[in-house]
Amino acid sequence: MTTSTTIGRRACLKGVGVSLALPLLDSLGWAAGQGSRPAKPPVRLGFMYMPHGVIMDQFWPKDPETFLSDPPPALESLRPVLRRCLMVKGVSGVPIAPYNGGPHALELSTWLTATLPNPKNRGKIDIAISADQIAANHVGGQTSLPSLELATMPQTHKENQEGLHEGYYSHCSYRSATQVMPAEINPRNVLNRLFGKSAKPGALLRHDPLDRGMLDLVIGGASDLRKRLAQDDQRKLDEYLDSVRAVERRIAAIEDRQKDAALQKAGIAPGSRDSSDSPPIEIKIPVGDKRSEYMRVMCDLNVLAFQTDTTRVSTYIGSTPNGVTYPELGIAGEHHSYTHHQNRAETMAKVAGITAFNISQFAYMVKRMAALKEGEGTLLDNCIMMWGSGLEDGNSHTRQNLPFIIAGGGGGSLRTGRFLSANANQGDLLMTLLACMGVPIDRPIGIATKRIDAMMSNS
Amino acid sequence: MIGPMVSVAPRFRLSGIRALGRAPAGLSALVALACLASAWHGRASAAGEDKAGQARRAAAMKTFREQITPFLNNYCVECHGRNNRAKQGGVSFAGAFQRPGAGELRKQWQLSMVNVKEHVMPPPDAAKQPTDEERGKFIAWVPEIKYLNPQDPGLFVLRRLNKVEYGNTLRDLLGVDPSVAGKLPDEVPGEGYLNTISPLQTEQFLAIANEALDIALGPAGAPANNALEKLFGEAPPKGSDGREAAGKVVRALARKAYRRPATDDEIGVLMRVLDLGAANGLDHHGSLRLVLKALLVSPQFLFITPAPSSPPAGPIVPLDDHHLASRLSYFLWSTLPDAELLALADAGKLREPSALRAQVRRMLADPRSAALFDGFGVQWLRLGGLKGMRFDPAKFPEMTPALRMAMIDEARMLFEEIVRGNLAVSAFIGSGHTYMNESLAKLYGLEKTVTGPRMRKVRLQDANRGGILGMPAILAATSFPDRTSAVKRGVWVLEQVLGEHVPPAPANVPALDKQDRKDGKGLTLRQRTEMHRANSVCANCHKIMDPIGFGLERFDAIGRWRDKDDSGAPIDSKGEMPDGKRFETPGELKAIIASRGEDLARNLAGKWLAYALCRQLEGYDEIVLDQLMESLARDGYRMGDLITGIATSYPFTHRRVK
Repeated sequence: MTTSTTIGRRACLKGVGVSLALPLLDSLGWAAGQGSRPAKPPVRLGFMYMPHGVIMDQFWPKDPETFLSDPPPALESLRPVLRRCLMVKGVSGVPIAPYNGGPHALELSTWLTATLPNPKNRGKIDIAISADQIAANHVGGQTSLPSLELATMPQTHKENQEGLHEGYYSHCSYRSATQVMPAEINPRNVLNRLFGKSAKPGALLRHDPLDRGMLDLVIGGASDLRKRLAQDDQRKLDEYLDSVRAVERRIAAIEDRQKDAALQKAGIAPGSRDSSDSPPIEIKIPVGDKRSEYMRVMCDLNVLAFQTDTTRVSTYIGSTPNGVTYPELGIAGEHHSYTHHQNRAETMAKVAGITAFNISQFAYMVKRMAALKEGEGTLLDNCIMMWGSGLEDGNSHTRQNLPFIIAGGGGGSLRTGRFLSANANQGDLLMTLLACMGVPIDRPIGIATKRIDAMMSNS
Repeated sequence: MIGPMVSVAPRFRLSGIRALGRAPAGLSALVALACLASAWHGRASAAGEDKAGQARRAAAMKTFREQITPFLNNYCVECHGRNNRAKQGGVSFAGAFQRPGAGELRKQWQLSMVNVKEHVMPPPDAAKQPTDEERGKFIAWVPEIKYLNPQDPGLFVLRRLNKVEYGNTLRDLLGVDPSVAGKLPDEVPGEGYLNTISPLQTEQFLAIANEALDIALGPAGAPANNALEKLFGEAPPKGSDGREAAGKVVRALARKAYRRPATDDEIGVLMRVLDLGAANGLDHHGSLRLVLKALLVSPQFLFITPAPSSPPAGPIVPLDDHHLASRLSYFLWSTLPDAELLALADAGKLREPSALRAQVRRMLADPRSAALFDGFGVQWLRLGGLKGMRFDPAKFPEMTPALRMAMIDEARMLFEEIVRGNLAVSAFIGSGHTYMNESLAKLYGLEKTVTGPRMRKVRLQDANRGGILGMPAILAATSFPDRTSAVKRGVWVLEQVLGEHVPPAPANVPALDKQDRKDGKGLTLRQRTEMHRANSVCANCHKIMDPIGFGLERFDAIGRWRDKDDSGAPIDSKGEMPDGKRFETPGELKAIIASRGEDLARNLAGKWLAYALCRQLEGYDEIVLDQLMESLARDGYRMGDLITGIATSYPFTHRRVK
């Protein structure tokens, strides 16, 4: 597909009563150097979360040999892409002592940090940078959005567990030890954020041309204020200024892309995408509050953001540990209540149903990726998508074998279609995924001690 | 429709701020009167702390040295803190010998008190056991720990505007609807959260600034409208010094946005923004618009910052007048100070106690104080989740968004009546009337007399209703989507109303054994819940929480009266308070709780103080609360007086810089 055929293409998306114009997505190709095409598509890293653990005998495969032919019931929806999936049993979570009364405050917050909150500072956010943000620090400069954070519920759950800051309950992404990355929960806002809301076909994200210069002055002007503040407050101010700089960089990246697009339009520069690549997927924003539709549109946005290389890192909190319900499954009560099933068969079946439902949303996302051509293969070939939970068994809050599924080829770095056993921890897993993405790591992530080489293709 | 679920963005979380025990009433009464005049209205400095306070501190320290230190040495430190390795269960007293009053030890002291009292510690199999007298002394000393703290307003922490405050501030600054801030992520209250800003938020602050300016002033380059002329004045005539005229406007805009006069340096930066606009071909109004945008994304706007001054005189300083004006207006109104407050601040008069009290009264009467329910009331009553809760549509088809809204409005109207009317806090429990419309009246069984969607005041005949304990919003918010929860309701009464601390359920809650489960069939919820209490791990807490919740079992999960539960069995609403007082109906439970007005007031005062200060309470704050309670007791703990007391208190009017 050449750029001239795509300019002016109006993708008019009809949800119920919703019509959105997609901007010129095709010009948002890989920004590697001077419009030159990278040797191969970049690796993207995505995480999707479900709280409260799984029903273990429904989740774990019986043995490595029958993983592909007879997958566990929870993975039924992933059957078509099972060869692109990898499961590893024996990856333990962070031991939560001294916070024994805070299993749910810690399941999400330790998930990508492999670190416990600082016990001297439990009332404040004081943990560690999360793996997704380490990745974003490395690759985020190459896309207009360093990372994308999605959720389907407000991250405002209030429950005091062990005196821990309530932000721990519903945040997995930390830009630094003291700074949470809130997630976007409104699909329309995500779409606007990715591609702007201009109704003009082909328009790129709009911004005021003087904003960069103005922000520069604002940052400079804060130095006077900074001098008057105590040390802790100076750090807070620095975090803010740092985020202003991030916005400035983002505007700069958008400007670069606009220049590239203009050059392509004029026929001066080559298009950055293969003619064989699939066109950008369409987004339908649902009306109504059906959980499956809500979760799916967020999946679609994640796929679109990766497909258009608007970002290479995402976290998607499918639901937070705070009493989500699933009326469309005919289940009236809260997810959390059912996970304390006390081994009652009827209740366990409900938890298994909720788990299969969540995995089917993940399956929907990765199957979409598998259907999109990119370079020599598919988008999924170039992704590392991890679905998981921060507890193994919600009934007893164990974290011995964290349940997770990896899907995607990681640009050839992952050996998939297998079920492995390992003796490793959550930090090791995160180290491995970042290594697959080519992110250099200068210190272990949380409790990590090694990489899990058996997961990687060069092992 | 899928969208941001509406939720409040509270300034500070209110849970887990329970005080460490109580001071004996007599002692605090004596000293409170002595120091009211000095400490209360912010006149005292750290150096000028009253003698009574110093004497109390010396006495508490003496007790610690003579009685508590030997106790710790004899019975505790072998496992908990002789050195770094001895830290079993994460508990160590190693640091306690030097600074027993340190804030980070508060929870540990409280836990120790409970464990020593319940004979959990020292472990029953330990060779050395304290005598009952020794135990008694230890238990009695823990509530005295607060006296070890010197007068201290707490460390000043830079705080940014939360989502609600930000929206309201844009409203008052630009005349736009506060929903313009709606796309910001919802926030978790709590220390360390409200003062960070992620790139997502910064990006949105910039986008919202652009949007708000478009709405208020029209698109860039549009002809001047009223709002624009009000903010920027008329364009200077051709040939005059446009930059000088613009400079005056910049200074005025900065004063509004920063809520204090800007420094010359700050003005200098803003003038460079103005010049940036001019150099890029913007006209007078266009350049000022760029300056206004710069103001809206400046840290001085997004954070509540002290006025620039020479280095602070000591470790503790009174708030400057402008800072106090901001603190006050964001506390009571969740928005920026109005002209009257700023004028008082400019004149340096706001810190005068009588002026400050008069302002609080004026501000409570102002419609903007509605922010107190959204910011404080919703959090205190734990109603934040109610809007997003999904009740089982098969069981509760009547639970529509409109009914939910009416429920919350009922709580709001009672709350505002008590705050604005300066009523006694016991009205929260014992009010003889409430507010409802037709859909709500159906839950009360009053649909024959109350019709139409308008909310109105209704006098109640039923003693089981009235006040927050018999209020549908509360009863629904403390239920599961498909059934009631005696445990949740019990915890709610203990924590939110009486301010007792209920520990979380232990990890690895043991399953009721198989025998129990077989028997569990056909039992009522009450009987099943009571099974918990056969298990010693659960019993300690459940024997306190459950009976209170059982008292409210007469109300179903959306607050309707009922005689039978889901299994068809008659409801048994007999219950018992931790102190042994018995009751048979919700009305009797209400009467018992209403008789504990002091506990309710103390609990509310602590939560208000934490909310006003945006931080957890620490040692000295307990003394502040003691004093406040003393002064409120004379008039039966009135709500408006309580808020005035908080807003004029020492920690509210001072800050510690180091």
